[in-house]
Amino acid sequence: MSTADPVLVEIVEGTLASVEREVETAIARTARSPMIRDAHDFRAGIHDARLRKLTGRSYSALVQPVVRDFPIAEMSPGDVFFHNDVYLSEGGIGHLPDLCVTVPVFHDGAVVAFVQAFGHHDDIGGAVPGSMPSHARSVFEEGLMVPPIRLWDRGVPNRAALTIMTRNSRMPDSLAGDLDAECSACLMGARRLAELFARYGREAVEACFDAIIANTAETFRRELLAKIPEGVHVWEDYAEHDGVDPPRLHAQRITLTVDHSATPPLVVDFTGTSPQARGPINHAGDYADGVFLKKWLAPILRNLADTPDRMAELDVNEGVVPLIGMRFPEKGTLLTPIFPAPTNARTFVILRLLGVLAGVLAKATGGRMPADQETIRYTGVHGTGADGAPYLMREVLGGGSGGRWYADGEDTIHVVPDSRNIPVEFAESRWPLRVERLGLARDSGGPGLHRGGLGYDKHVRMLRDASFMSIADRSILSCWGVNGGRAGRPFSVEIEGRVMEGLVDDAPVRAGEVIRVRTTGGGGWGCPLDRDPEAVAADVRDGKVSPESARDDYGVVLRPSGGSGGPDIPGGSGRAELVGLAESADGPLVDAEATALRRARLRAALPGTTPFFDRGPGFPSLSGDLPYADVDFM
Amino acid sequence: MRSVRIGVDTGGTFTDVVAVDERTGEITTVKTPSTPADPADGFMEGVRKVLTAAAAAAGAGTEAAAAAGAGGLESVTAVVHGTTVATNQLLEDRVSGLGFVTTEGFEFILEIARQSVPDGYGNSYFWVKPPRIVPVHRVRTVGGRLDHTGAEVRPFDVEQAVAAARWFRERGITAIGVCFLHSYANPAHELRMREVLAREHPEAVVSISSDVLREYREYERSVTTLVDAAVKPTVRRYIAGLADRLGMPFSVMKSNGGVLSAAEVVHRPVTTVLSGPAAGALGAALIASTAGHPSVITLDGGGTSTDVAVVVDGEPSLTTEGSVGRYPCKIPMIDIVTVGAGGGSIAWISPEGTLKAGPRSAGADPGPLCYGRGGTDVTVTDAHVFLGRVPPYLLGGEIPLDADAARRGVEELAGKLGLSAERTAVGILEISAFNQSNAIRRITVGRGLDVRDFPMVAFGGSGPLPACRLIDILGLPSVLVPPDPGNVSAFGLLTVDVKDDHVRTFVTRDLSLADAADVFGELEGRAAEALTREGFPADRHVYARSADLRYYGQAYEVRVPVPAGPPDEAWRAEVLDRFHEAHRRLYGYGYRDDPRHGVEWVNLRVSGIGPITRPAVRRRPYGAAEPPPPAAVREVFHDGWARVPIHRRAALAPGMTVRGPAVIEEYGSTLPLHPGFTARMDEYGNLEVRREP
Repeated sequence: MSTADPVLVEIVEGTLASVEREVETAIARTARSPMIRDAHDFRAGIHDARLRKLTGRSYSALVQPVVRDFPIAEMSPGDVFFHNDVYLSEGGIGHLPDLCVTVPVFHDGAVVAFVQAFGHHDDIGGAVPGSMPSHARSVFEEGLMVPPIRLWDRGVPNRAALTIMTRNSRMPDSLAGDLDAECSACLMGARRLAELFARYGREAVEACFDAIIANTAETFRRELLAKIPEGVHVWEDYAEHDGVDPPRLHAQRITLTVDHSATPPLVVDFTGTSPQARGPINHAGDYADGVFLKKWLAPILRNLADTPDRMAELDVNEGVVPLIGMRFPEKGTLLTPIFPAPTNARTFVILRLLGVLAGVLAKATGGRMPADQETIRYTGVHGTGADGAPYLMREVLGGGSGGRWYADGEDTIHVVPDSRNIPVEFAESRWPLRVERLGLARDSGGPGLHRGGLGYDKHVRMLRDASFMSIADRSILSCWGVNGGRAGRPFSVEIEGRVMEGLVDDAPVRAGEVIRVRTTGGGGWGCPLDRDPEAVAADVRDGKVSPESARDDYGVVLRPSGGSGGPDIPGGSGRAELVGLAESADGPLVDAEATALRRARLRAALPGTTPFFDRGPGFPSLSGDLPYADVDFM
Repeated sequence: MRSVRIGVDTGGTFTDVVAVDERTGEITTVKTPSTPADPADGFMEGVRKVLTAAAAAAGAGTEAAAAAGAGGLESVTAVVHGTTVATNQLLEDRVSGLGFVTTEGFEFILEIARQSVPDGYGNSYFWVKPPRIVPVHRVRTVGGRLDHTGAEVRPFDVEQAVAAARWFRERGITAIGVCFLHSYANPAHELRMREVLAREHPEAVVSISSDVLREYREYERSVTTLVDAAVKPTVRRYIAGLADRLGMPFSVMKSNGGVLSAAEVVHRPVTTVLSGPAAGALGAALIASTAGHPSVITLDGGGTSTDVAVVVDGEPSLTTEGSVGRYPCKIPMIDIVTVGAGGGSIAWISPEGTLKAGPRSAGADPGPLCYGRGGTDVTVTDAHVFLGRVPPYLLGGEIPLDADAARRGVEELAGKLGLSAERTAVGILEISAFNQSNAIRRITVGRGLDVRDFPMVAFGGSGPLPACRLIDILGLPSVLVPPDPGNVSAFGLLTVDVKDDHVRTFVTRDLSLADAADVFGELEGRAAEALTREGFPADRHVYARSADLRYYGQAYEVRVPVPAGPPDEAWRAEVLDRFHEAHRRLYGYGYRDDPRHGVEWVNLRVSGIGPITRPAVRRRPYGAAEPPPPAAVREVFHDGWARVPIHRRAALAPGMTVRGPAVIEEYGSTLPLHPGFTARMDEYGNLEVRREP
């Protein structure tokens, strides 16, 4: 093990984090694509000369494909490499709009590190505006593929390459602006990193890199892996549709083998994952020993730490890689697609995999993991503005997080750090629409001892005719509840009563019509009949839970409080009374006695054995009427 | 005759007071303990002390002395106050009991916020959202809707407004913020809401967003408005009490680097949230400019944290993206980065086995181990004491320190790390200096400035301690340590113009000259009224225009100064040119000659400025280069233990140069000079620290 100076390790680690943040700040402030600017769908990463990721806040792409095609010895200061080609990215790039820039860092004439950033750009060509055709059947419909190229050669940009790329985009200026933002930011980061090497020398800095990576491995092993009982744990979850075939269960399955004395101690086997989809939900994961997926999935392990504060402190760098073995099924599955299978909506699969791992760990640990969340989906409108120019408004709206053993889920959060919604006052000044409501979808959070967080309830009135688009999973299936907690409500969109599916390229909306988007609520954790009745009453007061749900899901009987603003409630137990409860000015009061009786009755009616997971009412419609999967029991 | 101006800076531990006699240039400084229960007590005691001291300094017989000796304020022309009343309320999270009124359909705006989860990828699984500034059950909505041009889409719903006002009244909720969509473009609905509240709920203290921040982005404007509403009762009560006791008008330092009369500041108290730190940056800016360094980094080192700012051409840079505690405040404030690295920062070992310093602090109480007040953790100050780099006492010997306790603590920590005690102590200081360096880089590199071009002014009690290390780490040309480093903030209060900011969001890709003239005219009209109320005749009004622009499609703007005068084509070309250049400087590229990249105007701004006479810093002639013999010699550790000369700063005169290793001590602060560094006193009494060539 390394003998790096603990003081210098701290200094190097702090500098790496600071450089990563500076690069990301520079990109966020100057990029044009809303996906980068607002949704923060971009990441910077710092890698050493052995291609190991050193920084830990973000996932990132890989340097492997660049080095594969451009040997390190042939790189020069001022070089900037570029790629977005999924199948030539060694698994680091999931879909073509993610444009990746890599800058080598030099010290004494040799490459000592890499600064890399990728960002999700507006449009890189292909069949539809935004380069995410939900009905694509091959990667050729998804846009321009660029394998690793030298975009800048010793400080000189390759005009030919830039011209080809911008010519293939519907939004060439925005693409050029975004690329400038990424390149400038990475070059700045590379200068900062070179200063670190100049100051302490290559040997000392690299010893610190070793120590930083080894520390992460050791911390994960000691604080997180130690909490997982040895044995074999299996679970699976599903994407519900691929944009091409009718909805069905596209399984992603993990068999997790835990042996603390083995190397590696965790083996993740994806065997049992469904065949590759005809539509664009595939993820090319089986490259470079799955090193991208190892770093992508490892953050889930942080939920095993003792407190949320500690979870937040744990970085995920290359140190997690030796702890995780991966076994991929044969070619031709969702995770091992064969070129040119389409991949633009691969978030369906890789986001779900986070949940599958969380579910396996929940089974392994008796429920000490959060219930499910789903936070990436794209909704938007496109058309022609009053000035005659085409526009694309596309937003990533988050959802509720799942209940945790220590807390309720949170409302409208997002898995990508700092991913933001678009301010209404910005949207209305830019696009022909009016947001009539930006609220929370009542009852969307899965009932539980710790309730799931709520999704959005957003109402958008179009002021000109336009087309609606959406790329969303979890519109049939729900975010699962665990350990007695119930599923949250799925994603849904209605346009004046017309119900949309999850994958829509261009549904017409007429001027004056309102698009109503409700996003997913998180799953609940623990039995809702155990929830503090006062918390339920507060949820009703706040409009997060309906009186009906309080009564039926939580077994809580409420009566109105005094105070003005609440109408008089007549006796009886009809709907009028429940409506009155919700409007009761200072919130309703709990009828403790009636609640105890009602809960006793509801408990008595529970079936003897219940599955450990609740997948919600949509599951039987895709499973051939089975209420649960065979892996759902402890 | 009145000629004395007084600055009172209330800090966490001490209230610093500086008086300057404008006729003689004589500066008097005093320190008195702060009185957190009622800061006005410390304020009044400080004023009394400084007048007495000034009188004594002036000697009997002079007019000022006679007046001051009578204990009165007859000689005083102005009092300027830097306060932490609002800052502390926010930092300590004493924000509760607020009500909020917003547009129908948006009652969950605070819960939703911007949906962002801080820090790492995947944190959304475990993150626990902190409580909202107003919980949703204290939010009321009112119908009525404007569009982004300010045109009315649906009329204001008076009935709902009345119902909301009564709802708050019945529940005794008296601090209320109001933010309606697009009110930056047209405040009409908010003004009507305020009327309804005044009529139905006269006890309520109300802040409306179009008064606080006329800028788009509804969530940020809402929170800023609510912060204003939250601090309003506190600041009003405090200012009223102080005005009563002082018996004369006074001014309050604002976060934007200007002052405003106390009578005016209570209407928008959110503008005072960085009152204290702003004064420090301004004081340091003036001291540095006087000494010939118009562009500097300022570093104000305190017990728990260090505040860093950048000064370019004499002016501290401003931001509108600041926050205090966990509350974003989008009003203009001096761009100060605060890092949790101060004298009280605690050294600890992470679970990964690396050494850390801060951000947790032992504060002033119990304080470092060496204070002997029950502290149990090794702090940065303990490391300094152990290494002999600061003396084993505080305030010139008034308070002795327990050097043995510091040594025992450092040795214990060293044992756990398997390092020597010296290496451990040096390591603590090294890590603390790196934390400060990264903050300094954040506000320089991040803004396109090269830190190596900037001398640094180090002040505050702990600011001068890391001077030599920061020169090395950052490649700074020099560090300037002003005389009386602990009093720079109070001095800064005397250097400040009256300043009031006005902004209007006006998003367009093609700003017509007529619109430009209209909006700037309106903003300058508002600024003029404010300056007139402050007592400035029209011929002394100064208006500084600026504008926020961006390339079409970007979400963030770059602010550039805008020329005065009636807008014409050349005027517009000049502004655009400044924008392209500023963007290039900040981010390394721009599109001056590329018409494909359109420019969008976003915010137009005017600061109304009422200039005051800045105090002159007294100058002394250069003399001999050789310092007097050291006052003492002490064992100090650098590369090894050695006997090192200890100089008293008071014994040094302009031109004298001290060579490291040495320690220069004064009443409130210490400058450890490492081997290879020199400190030369300039003609204004500053010590200029450099690496020896």
